[in-house]
Amino acid sequence: MSERHRLRSLLRLAYMNGVVPMRTQPLYLLSVLASPLSFLFFVTIASGGVLLLYGIAGGMVLTVLSIGTSLQTDMSHYRSDLKFQDVIVASPVEAPIYVAGFALSELIYSIPGLAVFIVLWAINAPVTLMAGLTIVGVLFIVWGFSSALGFTLATYFADVRETFVFSSLVSLGLSVLPPVYYPITSIPATFRWLAYLSPTTYAAFLLQGAFGLKSVPLSDGLVDWGVLIAASVALLVIAGLKARWRDP
Amino acid sequence: MPLAVEARALSKTYTHSGKSTVALANVDLAIPTGRVYGLIGRNGAGKTTFVRIGATQLAPTSGTISVLGHDVMTETREVRTHIAAVPQESRPLYFLNVDELVYLYLTIRGMDPRDARRRTNAILDELGLASVRKSLVNHLSGGMRRRAMVAMVLASDAEVLFLDEPTTGLDPLARREVWAAIRRAIGDGRTVLLTTHYLDEAEALSSRLALLEGGQVRLEGSPAEIRDRVRQPYRIVVSGVLGRADLEPYGTVSSVEGGYLVFAKESPARELAQLALSKGAKVSLGPVTLEDIFLQVVGRAIDSDDAGEAEA
Ligand SMILES: Nc1ncnc2c1ncn2[C@@H]1O[C@H](COP(=O)(O)OP(=O)(O)O)[C@@H](O)[C@H]1O
Ligand SMILES: [Mg+2]
Repeated sequence: MSERHRLRSLLRLAYMNGVVPMRTQPLYLLSVLASPLSFLFFVTIASGGVLLLYGIAGGMVLTVLSIGTSLQTDMSHYRSDLKFQDVIVASPVEAPIYVAGFALSELIYSIPGLAVFIVLWAINAPVTLMAGLTIVGVLFIVWGFSSALGFTLATYFADVRETFVFSSLVSLGLSVLPPVYYPITSIPATFRWLAYLSPTTYAAFLLQGAFGLKSVPLSDGLVDWGVLIAASVALLVIAGLKARWRDP
Repeated sequence: MPLAVEARALSKTYTHSGKSTVALANVDLAIPTGRVYGLIGRNGAGKTTFVRIGATQLAPTSGTISVLGHDVMTETREVRTHIAAVPQESRPLYFLNVDELVYLYLTIRGMDPRDARRRTNAILDELGLASVRKSLVNHLSGGMRRRAMVAMVLASDAEVLFLDEPTTGLDPLARREVWAAIRRAIGDGRTVLLTTHYLDEAEALSSRLALLEGGQVRLEGSPAEIRDRVRQPYRIVVSGVLGRADLEPYGTVSSVEGGYLVFAKESPARELAQLALSKGAKVSLGPVTLEDIFLQVVGRAIDSDDAGEAEA
């Protein structure tokens, strides 16, 4: 395939799995918003409104993180139940195009959900170019990270039901427990090191900085970006190594 | 002109947690271009394994297989530009409508959008799917869904099409609709590798057949050649007057509804028919069916299942 054909393949796959379902299954769009919004709701109510912005930052991270979960279930479903992956294997489409097309489709599908949080952010925090760029950059990297994770997990499970069990554990470990929805200072000092194990902690730090919730010295900011990018690259490499286009 | 598919000493052994299953054992097959080639066999015979290796979805354990002269393992990229497949038990994406299913498949394969539009319209018209083009795939009958899957690969520019049991589970009418679609494919010189365990289907569509059993090719050739190669190419059904003992000298006897079925060579078949007529029994004589051949070669009917052997 030429570059132009590759791009066409990728965009059509993204359209097929990202845009068409919005038309035929619009209710699913609401389900994407359900957990991020309910966490935001609880955090805000329980803190008497103090943690509203933390909840918005957390909602953004969780929405993009759930892309990985959707990718994982879609890829398992398309491979095992529909045999669609085998249809595509027996065609000129290459594996990275297939995966990237699906990852992009999940991003497209989450845009309405993200828009809700971006509007909430614009209403409740000072909007600056720097903050906007930080949000886009952080969410972009979290997208790469969660897609790679979702894809890698999808290669381990043949059955979609198994992946459901696992994906809720993953989202618990990456978005509920780490300080994504609340400040890290709420965690008792002895357990705080645990939070630093999750890459999403760094994404939340950067967003919290962009929202003006904490001051981030340049050196800390660079570390946060560095860890986030390194974790994503590592996961993408693992995903690339795990990719199995032809069964052994 | 290279062969559409050529397998040499192709073998596949699946290994799972220490347990291994031989699915293909030294299979040699030469599948010419431009026709429907039927791969027949019972559940577990190795049909899907063969098709998946040829369609670049599964790696063989040993041996080679090439598509249009390109080795599937070393020239995979080249092979993939020439093939399309409808995998066994594959289902179309339920949230698409029929038109999108075909059109998106073509553009995902890299086809120019204008070509894809033209070919989509043409195939939907030809296969009688035009009236349901805007219906969600989910709302179609099983036969229509299968037809939509076949339409998808037929509309592509692939020259070798792998169809793995495209009619299993369909009612007779729906099966015939899919047959018509398949016949249409070879109209323009393409090759279809069709697997089935319906022998009438294999016979109706294929110009050559291979009979697979236990991962090995047991018979291969055109339907006529296959008949010539059978030991007892005639079937005689006798009812009334004559008993099993009267029939046994003439050939292989089995009981059927209301009488006996005898497989026999030509002259004993003739003698038996005359005997039966002279005694006033009802008799019919004809060439063996593919079903009979299967029974003779494999020793049991094609739709019999081994106990405990699930469909893979
Ligand atoms: N993925 C697999 N793992 C282990 N054994 C398999 C697998 N796929 C098929 N088999 C076994 O290989 C043999 C051939 O199967 P298959 O090629 O599916 O036959 P058919 O398509 O003719 O029904 C069967 O014994 C089947 O149980
Ligand atoms: Mg099969």
